[in-house]
This record gives sequence, C-alpha cells and structure tokens, in this order.
Amino acid sequence: STTTLTTPQNQVESLMHELADEAGLDLNMELPQGQTGSLASTMASTEQDELSQRLSKLRDQVE
Amino acid sequence: LTMSAKTNASKGRDSCEVIKNYHKQAFEYISKALRIDEDDSEKGEAVQWYKKGIAELEKGIAVEITVQGDQYERAKRLQDKMVTNLTMAKDRLVLLVCNHNT
Repeated sequence: STTTLTTPQNQVESLMHELADEAGLDLNMELPQGQTGSLASTMASTEQDELSQRLSKLRDQVE
Repeated sequence: LTMSAKTNASKGRDSCEVIKNYHKQAFEYISKALRIDEDDSEKGEAVQWYKKGIAELEKGIAVEITVQGDQYERAKRLQDKMVTNLTMAKDRLVLLVCNHNT
C-alpha cells in the first residue's frame, strides 16, 4: 500500500523494536538452521499445492 | 525471507536447496501462466510460461536427494508435488496447444 511506501524505513524499524521490546522478543534472534530449512520446505509445498488447485480448477472447467 | 544457500552448507543440504530453487522458478513461471490462462486472455502467452515452468519442474524432480531422515522426507514430498503439477501442467499445455491450432 502507499502507506508502506511513504513511511520512512527507520520509523518502521523503531516501531518494530518498540513492539518487540514490549513483547519481550529479540528481533535479531535467528531460527536454528534446520528450522529455517523446514520452514522454506513447508512454504514450497504450500506453493505447489496452490498450483495444483489452480490447475485442477482449470481442468474441471467445461471447455 | 532469504533462501540463499549458506556457504557452510553440506553437500546433502545443497540438494534440498537446489530442489527448492527449481520449485521457486517453476512456481513463478506457472503462476504467470495461470494468471493469463485464468483470465481467458491470450492463451498463446500462457503456453510459453507453462513450457518454462514445466522445464523447471523437470529439473527439480531429477535432482537426487542426498540427505536422510526428516530432510529427505520433506524434499521427497516437495518433489512428489512437483510431479503432480508437472502432469497437470503438461495436460493443460496439450489442451491449450490443440485449441489454439484449431
């Protein structure tokens, strides 16, 4: 959206850190190696599922 | 989300990354094809994107998975889904090409 584009990056970042502090999170914390890999795999699988759904929808349409 | 391969990645991890990268490329191409196809606009253009996507899916499916355990299962599942979409995309391509020529 336009709001995102016009909001200065540093303002966004400081707000994120503020919120993270309140929630007691560390934004610099990274997920363990294995976990990021599994997250990416899950995302990829979901994306493939999406393609399957759209392809089967087209297939089922009466030509 | 960064999916760049880490330099310290083992050989096994690489095969998973390679599959994921082919998936990413295939997803991009076939999504483009679908957008055109679903829109009922110029089908000839969709054909080109389907072909590109199919080529990427085939490359991803051909990658030998060199990891074991959970990582193997995840990579295998992804490849299985790519096989399904390869078949479906090919079927769709045949249909479009035949309709296009008649």
